[in-house]
Amino acid sequence: MDIDIRPLVENWRFMSQAVGMTLLVSALSICLGLAIGIVCGTLRTYGGRFIGMALGLYVDLVRSIPVLAILVWTYFAFPLFIGYSLTPVTGGVLALGFHLGAYVTEVIRAGLTSIRAGQMRAALALGMSRFQAIRKIILPQALIRMLPPLGSLIVIAVKDSAIASVIAVPELLRQSQVLAGKTYRPFEIYTAAMFVYFMICYPIARIIDRIYRRLAPLGAS
Amino acid sequence: MTFDWSVIWDNRWRFIDGAEVTVILTVTTMALALPGGMLLALLRLSPIRVVSSAATGFVEFFRATPLILQIYWVFYVLPAAFDITLSDFTTALVGLTLNVSSFNSETFRAGILSIRRGQWNAALALGMTKWQALRKIVLPQAVLRVLPALASTWVSLFKDTSLVSIIAVADLSYVSLKIRSETYRVLEVLTAMAGLYCLMGYPQAKLADWVHRRLKVAE
Repeated sequence: MDIDIRPLVENWRFMSQAVGMTLLVSALSICLGLAIGIVCGTLRTYGGRFIGMALGLYVDLVRSIPVLAILVWTYFAFPLFIGYSLTPVTGGVLALGFHLGAYVTEVIRAGLTSIRAGQMRAALALGMSRFQAIRKIILPQALIRMLPPLGSLIVIAVKDSAIASVIAVPELLRQSQVLAGKTYRPFEIYTAAMFVYFMICYPIARIIDRIYRRLAPLGAS
Repeated sequence: MTFDWSVIWDNRWRFIDGAEVTVILTVTTMALALPGGMLLALLRLSPIRVVSSAATGFVEFFRATPLILQIYWVFYVLPAAFDITLSDFTTALVGLTLNVSSFNSETFRAGILSIRRGQWNAALALGMTKWQALRKIVLPQAVLRVLPALASTWVSLFKDTSLVSIIAVADLSYVSLKIRSETYRVLEVLTAMAGLYCLMGYPQAKLADWVHRRLKVAE
């Protein structure tokens, strides 16, 4: 078979915009997911029984529904509730962030509960308030322990952004489909897209690994 | 806004058929990806450099690219580049199996490496061959340690099968999206779709949690 990369070269601007959109959607959904996860994870650990149960329900629901279902629901069904429609990018970021948030919640909770109870008691005995103790004593240690799982979640978030192609977010996979449909060169285009995703995800995984290995001793309590 | 939930009941058999395809895909993929992952893990641990780096490259590649793109790739590239024509279902199965095998191989590799070196040495000192030592001493101990990770992979796989709907395999999400476009009952059908996945996925997620608690390796 013959390989023809001209469609890619001729449309490099179109494709690099698509890569930019993938990075944007990933970054926004990661920010939203981290924000949701940090708040919900802390509340789930320290917020008492009722809040803990409510947030447990959120986590369990999201964990048992595919991200595809959450995406199409947010983009097609949710607007019927709120009365006005979402753009694909907004819908995609909301759905991906909401999905990621549940996983971040679990990571934060696991990290916080892994810090020995004596640390909290010692901080309280020194006259710190509970909030101060969490912020100054527990979180700094827990954050380091959370790095590896958070790193894998970030890689997963980038990969999941490709699923937003089903609601027509003009990101890398979607635009690859468009271009493949126009030029009839699916082999070259999808292979190139695969390569680009690899070039984004693989370094992220390696860098976070590196940082963790350097910081790991600080997380031992 | 008025809801008409009868559309769900009227199409109940189509939903059930779709759910059946989802379950079959999950089970078949895992059945293939367990030996596949084991093979990749052993190749990665091979003393021959070329073999182990090829296996490493394969695994890292499939772990660092989106599954949805891998499915597209198998769908478009296998027929075009290698002249292999598969049914849609088989295409989906190949894509999912390649992906899950890569994840399983990491699990198995970590499990095998987690068994102390002394166990190997002792087995070899007793006159076992390397293969015997692996099969009789290391693997039986490693199996318990990898079960929690395999359970998590299982739950992810169950949800990820929804991605095969993009190549028109009639699983639960494909059927749901189809019913949606036929009936225009968007909210009802999509909510039913999410609900059905939740109904099936929730017990699996809880079971995976239980396996995690039960077999947790104490630090």
